[in-house]
Amino acid sequence: MNVAILGCGGMGRLHAQMAVNCGQKVSVCADTVRPAAIRLAKEFGARAVNDPESAIMAKDVDIVVITTPTTTHEVLVTTAAAAGKHIFCEKPFARTSAQCKRAIAAARKGGVNLFVGHVVRYFQEFEALRAQVQGGIIGEPGWAKLYRGGIYPGAPGSWFRDYDQSGGVTLDCMIHDLDWLRYVFGEPERIYCQALMRTAPTQMDYSQVTMRMKSGLIATVIGTWAHPSGFKVKVEICGESGMLQFDSTDAPFRAEARQTAAGPTMIVPSNPVSVSPYQLEWQDFIDWIEGKSLPRVTARDALRAVEMAEAALKSVAKRQPVTL
Amino acid sequence: MIKIGIMSFAHMHANSYAACLKSLPDASLAAIWDDNPKRGKAMARTFGAPFIADQGTFLRGDMDGVIITSENVKHRAMVEAAAAAGKWILCEKPLAPGVQDAKAIVAACKKARVGLGTAFPCRYALPLMEAKAQLDSGAFGAVYAVACTNHGQAPGGWFADEALSGGGATMDHTVHVADLLRWMLGKEFTSVYCELGNQLHRKTLKTDDLGSLNLEMEGGIQVSHLASWSRPKTFPTWGDVTLEIICEGGVINVDAFNQKLTCFDDNAKRVGWVPWGDNPDLGLIQDFVNAVRDRRDPAVTGVDGLCATEVTEAAYKAFRTGKVVKL
Repeated sequence: MNVAILGCGGMGRLHAQMAVNCGQKVSVCADTVRPAAIRLAKEFGARAVNDPESAIMAKDVDIVVITTPTTTHEVLVTTAAAAGKHIFCEKPFARTSAQCKRAIAAARKGGVNLFVGHVVRYFQEFEALRAQVQGGIIGEPGWAKLYRGGIYPGAPGSWFRDYDQSGGVTLDCMIHDLDWLRYVFGEPERIYCQALMRTAPTQMDYSQVTMRMKSGLIATVIGTWAHPSGFKVKVEICGESGMLQFDSTDAPFRAEARQTAAGPTMIVPSNPVSVSPYQLEWQDFIDWIEGKSLPRVTARDALRAVEMAEAALKSVAKRQPVTL
Repeated sequence: MIKIGIMSFAHMHANSYAACLKSLPDASLAAIWDDNPKRGKAMARTFGAPFIADQGTFLRGDMDGVIITSENVKHRAMVEAAAAAGKWILCEKPLAPGVQDAKAIVAACKKARVGLGTAFPCRYALPLMEAKAQLDSGAFGAVYAVACTNHGQAPGGWFADEALSGGGATMDHTVHVADLLRWMLGKEFTSVYCELGNQLHRKTLKTDDLGSLNLEMEGGIQVSHLASWSRPKTFPTWGDVTLEIICEGGVINVDAFNQKLTCFDDNAKRVGWVPWGDNPDLGLIQDFVNAVRDRRDPAVTGVDGLCATEVTEAAYKAFRTGKVVKL
C-alpha cells in the first residue's frame, strides 16, 4: 500500500520508516513547511507537497499518516475518511473529545480503518508489567504510580508551547499513562489534577494526577515538561502480595562520549529491542487493514484517553475532582 | 547534665531516642515510665535506666524533660500531665490524631510555660538540609511544584488500630513531609485533596494503608504527596522520604535515606539496604536537650506539629467529602 505522511517532523519521519519496515511504500510527504516536506520526501523516494489535502486526495495513496499538531487532527481524519483512505493518527487523537467523536463518525461513514498511535501499549516493558499484573504475582493491585517526561518539547514558537493547541504535558504526554491505566485496570471513576502550564519566564509544565478507578485502585500519575534535560519513565504497581517497579534510567545500555573541542558531551541511554514498539503498532494497523486481526488499541480507546485528559484539565480549571 | 525521661515505648522510635540520649555527653536517660509495665521494664533493662511504674511518681522525679512516645491517641493526656509537672516535652509525631487534641496540647504547654517540640527528625537529615540550603541560597529561584513520597512497610500493631492511632498510613506518613515543606519553603498549606483507602492489606489491616494527596501552598505551589504502607515485606529497606522540587532555575531531587549499601545475604535469603551516614534522630534529640537547658521551645515546635495535623485531618475530610478542603 502507498502511504502519505502529513506533517514531516520527527514523528512523521519515524512513521515513514515504520511503514517501510512493514513493507509499505511512502509515496507523498506533505508539510506546510516546504523544506521539511522536501527533505523527508527525498529520504523515502516520495514526492513532496505543501497542502495536506492534495496528499490525501492523491489517487495512489491508500494510507494517510497524521503527525501534525493536535488541533488539526479532526479535519485531516474527516477529509481522509471521506476520501476512503485508511488512517494512522498520532496521539493524542484530538484536542477535544467532541473532535474525537466526529472523527470516529467520519471513519465509520467512510468505511475506513482509523488507528490512533497509543504506542505505550506496544512497549515491551509495559507489556511485561501487564503480564505480571495479570499473572497475579502481586495479587489484587491496589495502587499504581506512573511518571513520564523530561524536557519541554518543541523549539520556541512551536505549537507545543501553546497550551490551547497542545494541552500541555497532561494531554500530549500523560495521555499515554492514562490510556495504559485504563487498558490494564479498567474504567476511571474520578480524577483530580494540578498542572503548572507556565509560559513565563520559563516555559514549563508539570502535571500531578490522583485518579480513582471503578475497580477501587488508586492511581498517581505525574507528567513533566519541567526538567532541564532528558526523558524518563517510571512505573510502580503495588498489590496485596508484592510490588513491581520499572525505571527507564536504570538502562541496559549507556554510552558517554568523551568531551572534545567540538562540543558538549552527548549521553545516549537506550533500551534496545529487536522490533521497536512503533513497528509493532504499525504491524497491528496493517494486519487490521488486511483483515487478519483487530488492533490492540481502538479509536474508542483513544477517545476515552482524551476524555480522561480533558477531565484532568477541567479539574485544573475547577480546582475540584471531576467524575468521569 | 540534662536529665530526660521517656514516657512509653509504644512507638519504636523511643528506642532510637533512648540510644541518642545515652550517646550525648550532656544528657542522660533519667527514668522510664510505660503504661505497659512489661515493655517498660524490658526497655529499662536494655537502656540501663530505672523503671517507675506510677506516672505521678515518675513525673515528680528528678528530671528536666520528657520524651513522649506513646500511641497517638494517648499523647494529649501524657502531655497535659507532664506539662502540669513542669517538664519540657518532646512529643512523637503526629502531635495528635486530630486538630482539637493538637490545639489542647499546645495550649496546655503554653499555660504551664514549658517548652514543647514535635519529633520531626527529617529536619535534621543532611540531604534534606542540603535541599533547604540550596533553596534558601536563591540559586534555584522560585518553587512551583513538589512531588513527594513517604512510603513504608505496614507496621501493624496499634498503628493499624484506629482507636489508638486515629488513622492509617495517611495519618502516619503525611506529617513528616507536610512539616518539611512548611520548613523548606516558609509557606503554609492552603488546600488539600486526597484519595485514600485500604488498598493492599484488606485481609490484615483495618485502617487505610495508602493516601494519594494533592495539596496547594501559599503562592499557588502545587504539591502531590504519597503516604503509604505499600513497601512489601521483601523490600530491601523500611521505606523512603523523597521530594522532587520543580523550580524556576531547575529541579532538585532528594531521596533522604538513600545513603546505603546493598547487601546480598545468603543466610537470611534476603537482599537488604544497609544505611550509612548521619543519624537525624541525634540532631533532634540534641536540639531538645539544648532547648531544655536554654529554657526555650525546641526548633520544631508544638505549633509545627499542630500545622501538620491540620493537613492530615483535612486529607481525611477531603476523602470523606470527595472535595478539596481549604485550610
